[in-house]
Amino acid sequence: MTQFEKNAVWQGTLSLMVLRTLLTMGEQHGYGIARRIEQTSLGKLTINYGTLYPALLKLEQEGLISSEWGVSDNNRKAKFYKLTKAGRKQIERDTKQWEETSAIMTRFLAGSEE
Amino acid sequence: MRLLGAFGSKKSERELSAEIESHLQMHVDDNLRAGMTPAEARRRAVIALGSVEGTKEAYRDRRGLPAIESLVRDVRYGIRTLVKSPGFAVAGIVILGLGIGVNTAIFTVVNAVVLRPLPFADADRIVRLWHTPPQSTFAGMDVFPLSPANFIDWEAQSDVFERMAIYRGGRWTLTGQGEPDAVVVYRGSAALLPILGVQPMLGRGFARSEDNEGGPRTALLVNSFWRTRFGGDQSVIGRTITLDRRPYTVIGIVPDLPAFMENVNVFVPLSWTPRERATRANHNYRGIAKLKPGIDVVRANADMTAISKRLEAQYPEDNKDWGALVRPLQEDMIGDVRSSLMVLLGSVALVLLVACANLANLMLVRTHGRAREIAVRGALGASRLRVVQQLLAEGAVLGIGGGAVGFAAAYFGVGLLKTAFAAALPRANEVAVDTGVLGFTAAIAVTAGLVAAFFPAWQLSGRDANEALKIGPGRGNSAGGDGKVRNVLVVSEVALALMLLVGAGLLMRSLTSLRGVNPGFDASHVWTGTLQVPEAKYQTPEMRNQFFDRVAQRVRALPGVESAAWIDNVPLQGGSTQYVAVEGQPAMKESEMPVVAVRLPSPGYFTTAKIPFVSGRDFTEADGFGTTRVMIVSEKTAERFFPGQDPIGRHITLTMMTKEPSEIVGVVREVKLGSLDASAADSETAVYAPAAQFAHNGSTLVARTTADPSLLTRSVVAAVRAIDPEQPVLNVQTLDEVVEESLGQRPLAMLLLSAFAALALLLATVGIYSVLAYTVRQRVREIGIRMALGAPVKGLLGMIVVEGLKPTLAGVGLGLVMAAALVRVMETLLFGVSRYDPGTFSVVALLMLAVGIVATLVPAYRATRVDPIVTLRSE
Repeated sequence: MTQFEKNAVWQGTLSLMVLRTLLTMGEQHGYGIARRIEQTSLGKLTINYGTLYPALLKLEQEGLISSEWGVSDNNRKAKFYKLTKAGRKQIERDTKQWEETSAIMTRFLAGSEE
Repeated sequence: MRLLGAFGSKKSERELSAEIESHLQMHVDDNLRAGMTPAEARRRAVIALGSVEGTKEAYRDRRGLPAIESLVRDVRYGIRTLVKSPGFAVAGIVILGLGIGVNTAIFTVVNAVVLRPLPFADADRIVRLWHTPPQSTFAGMDVFPLSPANFIDWEAQSDVFERMAIYRGGRWTLTGQGEPDAVVVYRGSAALLPILGVQPMLGRGFARSEDNEGGPRTALLVNSFWRTRFGGDQSVIGRTITLDRRPYTVIGIVPDLPAFMENVNVFVPLSWTPRERATRANHNYRGIAKLKPGIDVVRANADMTAISKRLEAQYPEDNKDWGALVRPLQEDMIGDVRSSLMVLLGSVALVLLVACANLANLMLVRTHGRAREIAVRGALGASRLRVVQQLLAEGAVLGIGGGAVGFAAAYFGVGLLKTAFAAALPRANEVAVDTGVLGFTAAIAVTAGLVAAFFPAWQLSGRDANEALKIGPGRGNSAGGDGKVRNVLVVSEVALALMLLVGAGLLMRSLTSLRGVNPGFDASHVWTGTLQVPEAKYQTPEMRNQFFDRVAQRVRALPGVESAAWIDNVPLQGGSTQYVAVEGQPAMKESEMPVVAVRLPSPGYFTTAKIPFVSGRDFTEADGFGTTRVMIVSEKTAERFFPGQDPIGRHITLTMMTKEPSEIVGVVREVKLGSLDASAADSETAVYAPAAQFAHNGSTLVARTTADPSLLTRSVVAAVRAIDPEQPVLNVQTLDEVVEESLGQRPLAMLLLSAFAALALLLATVGIYSVLAYTVRQRVREIGIRMALGAPVKGLLGMIVVEGLKPTLAGVGLGLVMAAALVRVMETLLFGVSRYDPGTFSVVALLMLAVGIVATLVPAYRATRVDPIVTLRSE
């Protein structure tokens, strides 16, 4: 299992996952986002929630997501996050960049095995 | 946005709590749905969430401007903790304040003298011009004044300078303006003031045509002189003043001048006669010039060297081996003071390092005592970085406090330094605390605080919180890593203090050997004062001699005066060096002739100064104008020119003053004419000719007294005034003061360095003591057990002392090595002592060890007074 550590690469990755999750699910609260990421990774990622909320705050500060208080499915008061326009654009940029990086890494790692 | 976050913190804090709470609830709900018991559901949810406080902390860091916000918080916290332990705070601030204070004071001097450009426009382009004399005749002299004809050729041929100027200074007598007074007059070319960027405030400057004789005599007054002597009266312009009995028309007022011209009262034009213009072999002028923009000193020197070579070829008679040197004015003015100042600056830096190490030690001990508090904060979610930041902030607060104390101390200290340095320091009057100094103090204060806090912070960052919590309050382990850090600090304190002690010790020994140098005369109980007589009033040499004779006679008659005589220049103050022709040597070109120091004394001078005769006789009243020229030579001169022969009856000709040879009638012992530390070069071997046989217009009166010579001044001045009410008496000094003055900045450098070394020693002692005292306190239980088991007190004492001395010993070793490596920088200040002087090094090492032993004995003794029962019971 992989723990998200407080380093820059993982934080960037976590941000993209959060944005992507919001793109798929629409409005969602922190707990929901965390669960969704865990499910999508087939349980291979557990999120230290301690890193999630600062990440959400950072995205909000950057204007990529916005938040407001609402009521959850089972009637719990919760803060809901949703993507902004800038957030959608950011997903495109980040996805492209991530794909390039991972392609390079794949090729690199394949190459180094020869 | 984040800036706002730093303020609306309460609201967002509540929101975050609510958000986390809802997160937790949702997780619990999910877990319940998955079939867990409520308790299990909650427990799992809490574990998954991790540390709530940690999350909040991370969130807060994200929310505000964490750096600024936590800095403000840390500084506030730092101040609060310091206020709560005032003893520690005061100790820290005083320790740093001492270190910072001496640094600020010395830096203020260095800043004003070395770093700040001279207060002239385009100061970086102003250079001084020198001749370099032939080493065959002027061994050891690197520069020499200029001769008029050479300067005129330089000016005509060089093209690296915008303008060049030549001048010479002297004391002239001002009369007809209240009390007769000797005023400092600079006779200089028209370009002199423009080169320095100085414009007359009133009236006009000199015209180029005034460089040559012919026009009316004119003068420029310097502002402060104009105000004090003429009440700032503007109508003085156009009026005539009398200088050395000649009338000069005042044509303008110039502002007060800084630096090397700060003593000037009056400027007069060069007014060279054709004969003066043609003088090539007599070097009496100083030169100054302004480089053309874009030309550097290297270029200028190359240019001037080429010109000098041409002149050498053109005038081999006068110019053989005479070169030229261009030196930036600032460098020229500062000269060897620079090295003393740099040594002092280096030593105060060492003092500050000792102070830092000392404070670091204090903080370390304190942090250790607070280990539990810090561990608790860590367990509650404070990141290690934050705790470290807090310690650093505490250090910074101490640093700033120390900086304020140090700055205040330096502010007053600088005044003292200024007075103490005044004689030996160029630009002393420019020494003042300015914004640069303030910036320097602020920078070193904060840095020092941070450096001191770095050690405990570093120590802390490697500690396991669990361990610290287990130890319990007040029972830190002494064996741990911070024992090592503390020892490293003690080692460095001892080493640094030792280096300073070695420096101070070497200077002290240098000074002792300098003071021990036999100057060749007896300086005690001798009064000296200079009389400069105007040639316009005493027109012939006979008249001048008569005047001096009458003065000397009157002075001899004063109560308390044993004997009195006069000489052109008293020893240790330099004077004339001249070419001489020696009997029996083939005729040679002037530039190849031997050079000696020439002094012109009156009869009785040697008795008054107690310079012993080797053979022959003193001058007498009979050796005057028109009689056979006679001469007394020093032992070395005799040996140099007449080796193995009796010099009495032989002849030497002072070719620069006369064609007639002088007969040697006496030989006296060697006297230090230039400086105490000079190994007398050939050019400093002396010949003495009777003042009465040569033209001179100024001499120094020398009187041996039975009582304190400084009490004589009033009666001498009265005696002089009785003969000539217009005659001032200048440069009143005792011969002892002349000797002391010739030591230059050495005594002060030694005094300061000793003070700094003492300070460092004190700090190091406190350091050794406090570390050992702390260690002993940590080990009270162990000691108690040992004593309860019957260990002898002496053995325990020995054990503690030996252990406590280990870092001191290491520091002494390290310090000796570092000192040996560093003493090279103070080589120029040393005299008569090797820089590796084994005596100094061993005495200093022993002193340091002795201090170390005393500092360890006190806590060790205290430890053995421990009552084992009490110690063990306290568990």
